[in-house]
Amino acid sequence: MKNLLFVTLIFSFAFAKAQTSLPEITLKNLDGKEISLATLSDDKTVVVSLWATWCVPCIRELDTIAEVYEEMQEEINFELVAISVDDSRSTRRVKPAVMGKGWEYTVLLDPNNDVRRHLGNPNVPLTLIIKNGVIVYRHSSFTPGAEDELFDKFKELAG
Amino acid sequence: MKKILIAIVALTTMQITIAQENRGTFSGGFESNSQWYQDDEGLGTIAPQDQLRSNNYFTLRYSYDKFTAGIQYELFAPNPLLGYFEGFKGNGIGTYYLNFKHEGLDITGGHFYDQFGSGLIYRSWEDRQLGIDNSIRGVRINYEFTDYLVATAFTGNQRVGFEVSEGTITGLNAELDLSNALDLETGIQIGASYVNRYQTSTSPDLNFPADVGAYSARADITFSKFFLGAEYVYKEQDAFVLDGFVSNNNYQDGRALLLNTGYATKGLGINATFRAVENMGFYSDREASGNAFLTNTINYVPGYTKQQDYAVSNIYVYAPQPIVSPGEGKAGEIGGQIDVYYTAKKGSTLGGKYGTKFEFNYANWSGLDATFDVTNNTYQASLLSRNEKYFEEASVAVKKRFSRNFSTIFTAVHTEYNTTIIEGSGDFLRGDAFIIDALYKLDGGRSVRMDLQHLSADADRGNWAAATAEYAFSPYLSMYVTDLYNYDETDIHYYSVGGSYTRGRTRVAMNYGRQRGGLVCVGGVCRFVPENTGLTLNISTNF
Repeated sequence: MKNLLFVTLIFSFAFAKAQTSLPEITLKNLDGKEISLATLSDDKTVVVSLWATWCVPCIRELDTIAEVYEEMQEEINFELVAISVDDSRSTRRVKPAVMGKGWEYTVLLDPNNDVRRHLGNPNVPLTLIIKNGVIVYRHSSFTPGAEDELFDKFKELAG
Repeated sequence: MKKILIAIVALTTMQITIAQENRGTFSGGFESNSQWYQDDEGLGTIAPQDQLRSNNYFTLRYSYDKFTAGIQYELFAPNPLLGYFEGFKGNGIGTYYLNFKHEGLDITGGHFYDQFGSGLIYRSWEDRQLGIDNSIRGVRINYEFTDYLVATAFTGNQRVGFEVSEGTITGLNAELDLSNALDLETGIQIGASYVNRYQTSTSPDLNFPADVGAYSARADITFSKFFLGAEYVYKEQDAFVLDGFVSNNNYQDGRALLLNTGYATKGLGINATFRAVENMGFYSDREASGNAFLTNTINYVPGYTKQQDYAVSNIYVYAPQPIVSPGEGKAGEIGGQIDVYYTAKKGSTLGGKYGTKFEFNYANWSGLDATFDVTNNTYQASLLSRNEKYFEEASVAVKKRFSRNFSTIFTAVHTEYNTTIIEGSGDFLRGDAFIIDALYKLDGGRSVRMDLQHLSADADRGNWAAATAEYAFSPYLSMYVTDLYNYDETDIHYYSVGGSYTRGRTRVAMNYGRQRGGLVCVGGVCRFVPENTGLTLNISTNF
């Protein structure tokens, strides 16, 4: 029990000091090209969404945003990078799914969940707003209406 | 105890250093999954000896300049949740590592996760829902020679509960991006790997394999809208193991072939996968071959079927069969699946005002055509042969939005399931499932979701029905109630009620109800969970 107390103390201390950024990892895009995560938000604000082909709320979220994506890109410079955490069982399903759905997002593959692990193994969907490499907003789960909140937050943080 | 103290001292020192210099960053998380098990007369289950069980994970990561250090403390008290590997009992430092990254060099000492190719030859990963952490504790070096050549080398022992494997695993991998090297329009990536397991011989036989190596070669090609990939793995002879008993003069090799091809353009995506495997169990401890908790697994052979989204379509799920068992007539499997994603455009007949999305999947798996010598536990098989049907499934999902606020998903699944092969005994089952899921968006971030599900099956427990209602008070708070009812045979309701609250870095979920016993599958890997009833609490936070 004492151990637990110690650990909790240490963790709460770390918690107070935490300032998370995206890991310095390169991921492949759908054409097999390597993209560095660290440079994703150079001089701009981007939304990063962790998703998987087998995750119903993830697909709902990305479908919902896709409907107004062009509009939002023009209006508020909204940009979304969708990182698929599909492992090698389903990672080959990602490209056909993304193309079949007509999504215009930048899509990256994280088949061994390196990014997800770095972020503390969260449930997907996980939506982040990254500004100059630092995570400034974090939300997991998706229910309809959450997209409006995301656009508002983005406007507020990017502005 | 000592370990924890050391860790605490180290962390505290780090904290002080940061406080002084104000450099470096912390991140980490805490996850707790607890269940309070109850006796349930209706199910005929009795709560286990420790009624309140809890799996807890604390992770902490500290980055400073080119260095990153991480540690994961785990507590399974007083016992892990039902269905988890008992080697997790207790508490301790589960994983730790120190990583150095500079230009193209990436060195890790301690526990690490990685995979070569699709994982068919090697993959170490963590899945808390499945209770798997087969990270390797050792040294890993990854180096980018140029923008088209990357190589990895590692050696170490695999994590098993709070111990490590007896066998040592060593791996080498090289990946060459020919399109970058030769400046081609067509994307071409090739790769090759070698993975070795060394474990002291336990046999007087001089030919007994202490070293077991596996080789793989692969290539991926992308030309405009088409893509094509191939991977072949050969595993050297390893001792045959039956129920933990290692044979002294029966050594068998294994092989696998994976092919994948597809076509993707805006509005249409197609993918087809074919895989054949023969004797591809690959373990860091030969005695662990085929163990139920999936410990010591070096390679990853997932079930290539669609992960279904609803309760009734998740009862009869295929579990892959890569392991040889002459007594059961198994030498491996062959099969594949096809996925089609199609969007009917807005304004078209099928598309309507908002466009309609279609998803289609077909999967078919069979055993290899093999002859078995059950007395000597040997077999003869060809990798590219087909015999008894193990599993077949066809499913279609149609996603249709009717208005700004109202959308539905209709799903139909036809399943054929070889119960004897997949679960050990039982009649061959054919089932048809139909599911309708409707979502209505209210204002202020509120929404209502409902689904109705039915499965008619001609074996096992027959027909099932299920329904779910979910209400979201806001994007942060939602509640649900669901019931899965086997009305045909057992008359059992697997009901559950719960809710979740998520805000920023933190998520809390609570539910009370019955868990249907059987295979719980995540990412095509399955774990058996006994039937139980209880109150579950999940807390997770990240920072």
